Amino acid sequence: MAKRSSHGKLVETVVLRPLDWTDERTAVVRGTKWFLLRNVPRDSSWMQTLGSAALTAFIVQALTGVILAMYYEPSSAVDPKTGDPIAYSTIVTITNDVTLGWLVRGMHRWGASVFIILLYLHMGRVFLFGAYKYPRELTWVTGVLILATGMLLGFTGYLLPWDQTAYWATVVGINLNGTAPFLGPWLAQFLASGPEIGSSTLPKWYSLHMLLLPGALIALIFVHIYLVTRLGVSSPPWSKEAAGRERPPVEQTGARAGLVRGGGGD
Amino acid sequence: MAKDLGEQNREAFARYKADVKKEGKPFFPFAMYHDTVMSLVVVCVIFGLAVIWYLDADGVKPGILGPWYTGPADAGTTSFVPRPDWYFYFLFYLLRIFKWPETVFIATVGIPTICLILLIGLPFYDRRRERRPLHRPVAMVAAILTIVSMAVLTWKGATAKEALGSELVLLVPSWAEEQGFQNDQAAVDGATLFAQSGCLNCHIYLGEGAGNLGAPDLSAVGKTNDASYFVQYLTNPAAFGNKVMGGYAYLGQENLAALGAFLAASDGPK
Repeated sequence: MAKRSSHGKLVETVVLRPLDWTDERTAVVRGTKWFLLRNVPRDSSWMQTLGSAALTAFIVQALTGVILAMYYEPSSAVDPKTGDPIAYSTIVTITNDVTLGWLVRGMHRWGASVFIILLYLHMGRVFLFGAYKYPRELTWVTGVLILATGMLLGFTGYLLPWDQTAYWATVVGINLNGTAPFLGPWLAQFLASGPEIGSSTLPKWYSLHMLLLPGALIALIFVHIYLVTRLGVSSPPWSKEAAGRERPPVEQTGARAGLVRGGGGD
Repeated sequence: MAKDLGEQNREAFARYKADVKKEGKPFFPFAMYHDTVMSLVVVCVIFGLAVIWYLDADGVKPGILGPWYTGPADAGTTSFVPRPDWYFYFLFYLLRIFKWPETVFIATVGIPTICLILLIGLPFYDRRRERRPLHRPVAMVAAILTIVSMAVLTWKGATAKEALGSELVLLVPSWAEEQGFQNDQAAVDGATLFAQSGCLNCHIYLGEGAGNLGAPDLSAVGKTNDASYFVQYLTNPAAFGNKVMGGYAYLGQENLAALGAFLAASDGPK
C-alpha cells in the first residue's frame, strides 16, 4: 500500500506535473489528445490510408535528403581530382563510396516517384468519395497545392546530379518556361541565372529544392492535416452506415401503419 | 419548404459530427493501425526500388530502372536526348502535338495552367451534395477521360522514338542523293554534323527524327533562306524569336558554316 502510493507520487512528480506544466503553457497535451483520440467514421478503412502513406513517403524524402545534403555539393566547377564537375563527382562518391550512400540516394530518387504516385492515388480516392465537397473545399485546395509543390520539387531535384540527363532535361524545361507570355522570358532568365545554364544555376536550384520548396510543402502539409483533423474524414458514400447518412422519415400512414417499420435502410 | 444548399450542407455536416461521435471509432489505435501498416508497405516499396535500381545497374550502364547516373553534364554535346522524369512525360508529349513557335506556349503554359485552375476550383463548381459515384455521371466520365488521356500521354512520352546519331550518320549519303548535294563537300559535312548532333531529337528530316517540342520539318528548309541566314539563326535562335531551341554558337564558325551550307542545300527531295 505504502509502496504503491510512493510509486504514484513518483509518476505524479516525474510525468504528470511536467506534462501539466507544459500543457498549461502550450496546450500540447490537449492538442495531441485532440489529434489522436478523435473519432473517425466506423466504416473508414484502407482506402483512407493513402494520405498518410504519402506523408510517409515525404518523411522518407526529408530524412534521405538531409543525409544527401551532408555529402552533396552544388557546384559545376571542375573537381581537379576527377576532372568532372564537383556536383557530379559528389553524386558518384555518394553512390559508390559512402557507406550505404547508394541506398540513401536510391531511396531519395525512387521515393520521389512513390510520393507523386501516392498523391495521385490519394487525390483519386478523394474524388471518388466526393470528399472535396462542403465543408472540405480548402482541404482539397491545399492538397492540389501540395501536388504542384511536389512536382516542382521533382523538377528542381532532377538537375542536381548534374549529369547529361539532368542537364539536358533542364535546358529544355527552362526554355519551355521561357515560352510563357509576359513572365516567361523573365522566369527563364531567373531559373537559369542568366541567358543560359551556368555556374550559378546549380546553387539556385539546390536552394529552391532543399529550402524554399520543402518549407512550403511542410507548411501546406500542416494546414492540410489540421483541416483533415478539424473536419474529419468522409465515410465511403456507398456505405450503409456512413456517418451523416440521411434518415428517411418513418412513414406511418394508411392501413399498414405500425406493421412495417421504417421506410428504407435497416 | 425546400431548404437552400448551404442549410442542407450544414445539417448534413452536423449529422456527420453526431454520427462520428456516437458510432465512430477512435483514430488511435484503430485508424492509426491501418496507417502504420500502409506506411511500412510504402517504406518497403521505396527500399525495394532502390535495391533493384542499384543491383541491376552499374554506373552509367542502365538496368531495368535506369542507370545510377549518365555522363557528366556537358554543354558541348548535343547528341543527348532530353528526357524528364516520368511524371512530366505527359507534358513532354504534349509539346510534340503543338507546332513551334507560335502555338507551343499552349502546351507549355496554356494547358497545364487551365488544368491546374480546373483542379483547384473543383469544389467550387461541383457544388452538389451528392457523393455517390454512380449518381455523379459527369464527374465520373470527366475523371475517366482525364485518367485515360494522362495515361496515354505518359505512355506516348515514355515510348517516344529517339533518334540515334550513330544510325543517322549512315543515312547521310542517301540524303545527299535525294537533295542532290553529293558534290558539295561543305553540305555533306554539315549533314554529318546534323545527324550526329542530335538535331533530329526535335526536328524531322526526310522522314527521320522526332518532331519533338513542335520543331519544324527541315527537309525543304533551303527554299526559305540562304546559308548565311541559317548560320546566324543557329548562332542565336532567340534573336529570331525562337525561345525553345538553344544556341549553337559553341560549334564554331567552321561547323556552323557547314551546317548552313547543308540547310541551304536542302531544298526538298528531287
